[in-house]
Amino acid sequence: MIPTEAVVVLGLLLFAVGFVGVVVRKNLVVMLMSLELLLNGANVILVGFGRRLDSPRGSIFALFVIIMAVSEAAVGFALVLAYFRQKKSCDVDALDELKG
Amino acid sequence: MINLAVFVVFAVLAVTAAVLVVVQKNVMHSVLYLAFAVLATAGVFFSLQAEYLGAIQILVYAGGIVVLYIFVIVIVNLKEVVPEPRPLLAKIVLVAVPVATGVQVAWLLLVGGFPAAGATGEGQGFKAVAETLFASYLFPFELASVLLLAVLVGAILVARRKLVHDPD
Repeated sequence: MIPTEAVVVLGLLLFAVGFVGVVVRKNLVVMLMSLELLLNGANVILVGFGRRLDSPRGSIFALFVIIMAVSEAAVGFALVLAYFRQKKSCDVDALDELKG
Repeated sequence: MINLAVFVVFAVLAVTAAVLVVVQKNVMHSVLYLAFAVLATAGVFFSLQAEYLGAIQILVYAGGIVVLYIFVIVIVNLKEVVPEPRPLLAKIVLVAVPVATGVQVAWLLLVGGFPAAGATGEGQGFKAVAETLFASYLFPFELASVLLLAVLVGAILVARRKLVHDPD
């Protein structure tokens, strides 16, 4: 029997690591990857509660989170590619102006 | 007992791989560790008896998103390691704040505990997931398909090269 607390702590750890990645790294691709980790942490917590309540709703919400993560990754990469064509760089420090 | 051991093994693997994703300098190594973290998370889902989600995780994340990442890194050609200068103090603070937040929430949960909640008895198997998804969550499900279509169109529009000169 897996205690729900352990599942929530695992989710929080994954979330915190992803958060650190988004805040600390300056490479756009690595930041997007850290976002995936962050959403994964949220999914783990959702599944843990779904199991605690013996309900399929945790899995279903996690499914919607995955759909959203896919959308975010696709659009994010399109933006990274467009940005790379303009600046020849993936560093967020070069992203300090909005003029195309 | 075996279930708990499997959970702990996959949890440790997932957290370790997640830390390595953030720490690695080489972006390609980061992606491979991301694939590792995602597969370990799928293992966690399996040990929590969420088989459907574990399968989706492997198919969509490991099969789709990680491949997408690799393609983008090959296109963007991030071979040279970009230096990321930042003052040491700023780095420490930026790491400490998220970690402290996570630890605090975890501590609050462990001290306070969760409110007792009755099991709904709906079950968690494939059948229960399908019945609830298509009975109670049909509208969000259809909305998700519209979202994916919009993402498809939007991503192509943003990422394409503008070869044709538009007179407007």
